[in-house]
Amino acid sequence: MSATLTLAANKRGFDSETWLQRLIVAAGVLFLLVALLAPLLTMLVKSLQNGAGEFIGISNFVDYFGNPALTRSILNSLNIAFWTTLIVVSTAFVFAYALTRSGMVAKKGFRLLSMLPLFAPSLLPALSMIYLFGNQGILKDWLPVDSIYGPVGIVMGLSFWAFPHALMILITAFSNSDARLYEAAKSMKTPPWRVFLTVTLPSVRYGLINTIFVIFTLTITDFGVAKVIGGQYNVLATDIYKQVVGQQNFQMGAVVSVILLLPALISFVVERRVQRHQSAQLSSRAVPMQPQKSPLRDGLLALFCTLTCGFLLLVIGMAVYASFITFWPYNMDLSLNNYRFDMMDGGGWASYFNSLQMSAWTAVIGTTVVFLVAYMSEKIKPMPTARKLLQLLAMLPMAVPGIVLGLAYIFFFNHPQNPLNGIYGTMTILVLNTLVHFYTVCHLTAVTSLKQIDGEFEAVSASLKVPFYTTLRRVTLPLALPSVLDISVYLFVNAMTTVSAVVFLYSAETTLASVAVLHMDEAGDIAPAAAMAVLLMLTSLVAKGLHWLISHQILQRTQRWRQR
Amino acid sequence: MNTSTPYLQIQHLRKSFGSFTALDDISLEIQEGEFICFLGPSGCGKTTLLRAIAGLEQQEEGGIMQAGRDISTLPPQQRDFGIVFQSYALFPNLTVSENIAYGLANMKMPRRERQQRVEALLEQIHLPEIGDKFPGQLSGGQQQRVALARALATEPGLLLLDEPLSALDARVRLHLRNEICALQRKLGITTIMVTHDQDEALTMADRIVVMDHGRIAQVGTPEEIYQQPATEFVARFVGSMNLLPAEVLGHRSLMLGRKEVQVPMILPVCDRGTLGFRPESVQLHNGPFGLNRDDSLVLQARLDQVHFMGAFVRLEMTLDEELPSIHVDLPVEQLHSQKPAVGENLWLSIAADALKFYPAEQQGRGQVQARSADSGMQMGVAAMQVAGA
Repeated sequence: MSATLTLAANKRGFDSETWLQRLIVAAGVLFLLVALLAPLLTMLVKSLQNGAGEFIGISNFVDYFGNPALTRSILNSLNIAFWTTLIVVSTAFVFAYALTRSGMVAKKGFRLLSMLPLFAPSLLPALSMIYLFGNQGILKDWLPVDSIYGPVGIVMGLSFWAFPHALMILITAFSNSDARLYEAAKSMKTPPWRVFLTVTLPSVRYGLINTIFVIFTLTITDFGVAKVIGGQYNVLATDIYKQVVGQQNFQMGAVVSVILLLPALISFVVERRVQRHQSAQLSSRAVPMQPQKSPLRDGLLALFCTLTCGFLLLVIGMAVYASFITFWPYNMDLSLNNYRFDMMDGGGWASYFNSLQMSAWTAVIGTTVVFLVAYMSEKIKPMPTARKLLQLLAMLPMAVPGIVLGLAYIFFFNHPQNPLNGIYGTMTILVLNTLVHFYTVCHLTAVTSLKQIDGEFEAVSASLKVPFYTTLRRVTLPLALPSVLDISVYLFVNAMTTVSAVVFLYSAETTLASVAVLHMDEAGDIAPAAAMAVLLMLTSLVAKGLHWLISHQILQRTQRWRQR
Repeated sequence: MNTSTPYLQIQHLRKSFGSFTALDDISLEIQEGEFICFLGPSGCGKTTLLRAIAGLEQQEEGGIMQAGRDISTLPPQQRDFGIVFQSYALFPNLTVSENIAYGLANMKMPRRERQQRVEALLEQIHLPEIGDKFPGQLSGGQQQRVALARALATEPGLLLLDEPLSALDARVRLHLRNEICALQRKLGITTIMVTHDQDEALTMADRIVVMDHGRIAQVGTPEEIYQQPATEFVARFVGSMNLLPAEVLGHRSLMLGRKEVQVPMILPVCDRGTLGFRPESVQLHNGPFGLNRDDSLVLQARLDQVHFMGAFVRLEMTLDEELPSIHVDLPVEQLHSQKPAVGENLWLSIAADALKFYPAEQQGRGQVQARSADSGMQMGVAAMQVAGA
């Protein structure tokens, strides 16, 4: 029996199996090299060339730093990022504390509401700010400064948009509690403030640092909010746009991109380092803490959360309401006029359907690519160096601002000598760009769920002479299904709402809804812009709802084994 | 059993992870149908050796022959073995039957036959009713038995067990020990088990391979390993052993602490070493009368403490303040008849064939060696006490 078995295995051939694994790893490396590293390097080279494509060293940078109108943006960007980070992280810190460590009521509700900004394009809060505090805004008199068009507007809009990102990291950090430490502190009669300083704060320390860097990167690289509500206040991301779209000065666009890449890269490196510490911090024997009630504290926290959620709802509500107003502020009748996108700039309803199509492709192709690459880098043996490279490249997109990636794509794919030149201006380049832009989070999600799967499954199947792809299909994929679904909906929602990366890459046939929001706003059609933004948010919410329903259904049916 | 051609031949295997040497020139021969245990502390290379046999790790040097076939460079798929891991590694989304049949599906076996095979295997592991359950619904012991059935389903020539019992609680572990042994004897399958549990190795194995720092310290039957530990390391690791640092004075005399003693054996030529004997090999006497110093070692020691251990009592005695205390195991009845008092000086005798002497490894580093051996001794004693308790 065993003799025939061996013979069969020999005939089927292991070599074809390793060969297939090598092929997939190589394809993954090639994909990230072509779609990420090559464009970025091209952009670096461009920043050292003049308009005619001749190498001129750092003279572009010399020009840049000799121009105070441009260098001012660096300070502006830092200013915006500093204030937004301060506001968002402190608010999210208290909010996360309330959700995880207090006996507050309605935690689930607060948590759901706080996640809403994730589904809105970043342009939505900016448009909302115009209606709330703009020249004809309903709350204009409350504004302590002269005009919302400028740093105040940008900071407020970004705070809305970045809040859930900070909250998610901090909730995770706060959830890693060890009740035994609190019991020990209590038994030693430690006063609450000291417990907070000596137990609570150290346990979330890394999460907190991590949050600060993530939010700083998000806000310093954001393009949408600053574009809509920045007015004369220039930041790095809008400078790139203005240089490229306004003045057709691609070299200067590349220079600013390189400068914008720096803070993002630095904070990325710091964040990765911190992350490594955090994972090692909690022992597996920790006992999770059960929050206790304390009426005064819980009441105050509930009030705080209500106010925060109130602000979020106000911003969303304002955009929704404004989108139905016939002609602000002269005709306040409700109508659907603003949803007749075909009358406006930006590509009309076609752009909405383009967005749907693009998001669907990104979700389907992206999930497949991400999962395969993560599987290869995590679970197989051959080509250790290539797999290391794969992991490194997969982390890089997080450090690349969308607008920089978009510009890099122009340089790389629009180059006449690039054989891939043909995809320029098509749906393909939009899908590719969006996938790469949001790659890292998806990769990490997939890797985390794969790490939780027993590392010996591949060894067992090899001993049973079952090829790896059979085990991938029959065991690994079903086990990782929840995270696969998470990845697909994450890609869909972000593809729907992203502006920064694709703003350089669409063509007349592939206009996108999020870009249309931008153009309608530029043309002064603020209400239709708000309407489109609301539509995008609604679509994302529906997608999320569907995802919840489907995953619920699928999990019920196929994951019977999860019940004990 | 054909002893002239071993079933598995391992020749000069070498493997390192960075600067850490996991396998250092390992050579070993295993006969068909043997039950072999790789025993050693964590990090000694036993698991790496098992994984190299399976093809899950690739050795840097050396070769492996299985059943006359050179499998040194073959990937696991082309080797002939079944494997069971400590973590069970059962596929949680497949039923028990599907798990067991996982490797059968590839053999183009008709569905009916496959079904019969699964049922027969479930019968063999004494769990006939659980085919439709999922692994999550089973206890740890049941899961491990299913994993065993899955590994045996394709009728491999070699069964590899990687600490299969370590994750189970004590009672289940004892039960499963017997079951694995019975199954192995019945099927006659060549089996290699990795374990750090000396009891497991002593009770289950035909032969034990004791490993230390990537090298084989000793290969032998459980009795040989226990009664004739080849090195100080083996003595320390298997069972409890009194190990006393000693200076060699002559052919038959040693300096133990500040006392000179005559030993009933010819000592090797060296400066210092370690004298070892098992706690249960010590005889207790009220006086030195009638003790023959030619065939046993006679010592006088002070009784410090008496530990009740259930089936026996362990006496903790001091021979010399400079030496670690000596452990003596006595049946409870003997303690009752002799009634030694704490603080009293007693006479001990150890028969010559129960005495072991291990010369210190290197002359040049004698001093350093001795000190590190001393500190190691403290730990060794602690470990022994843990092992004994």
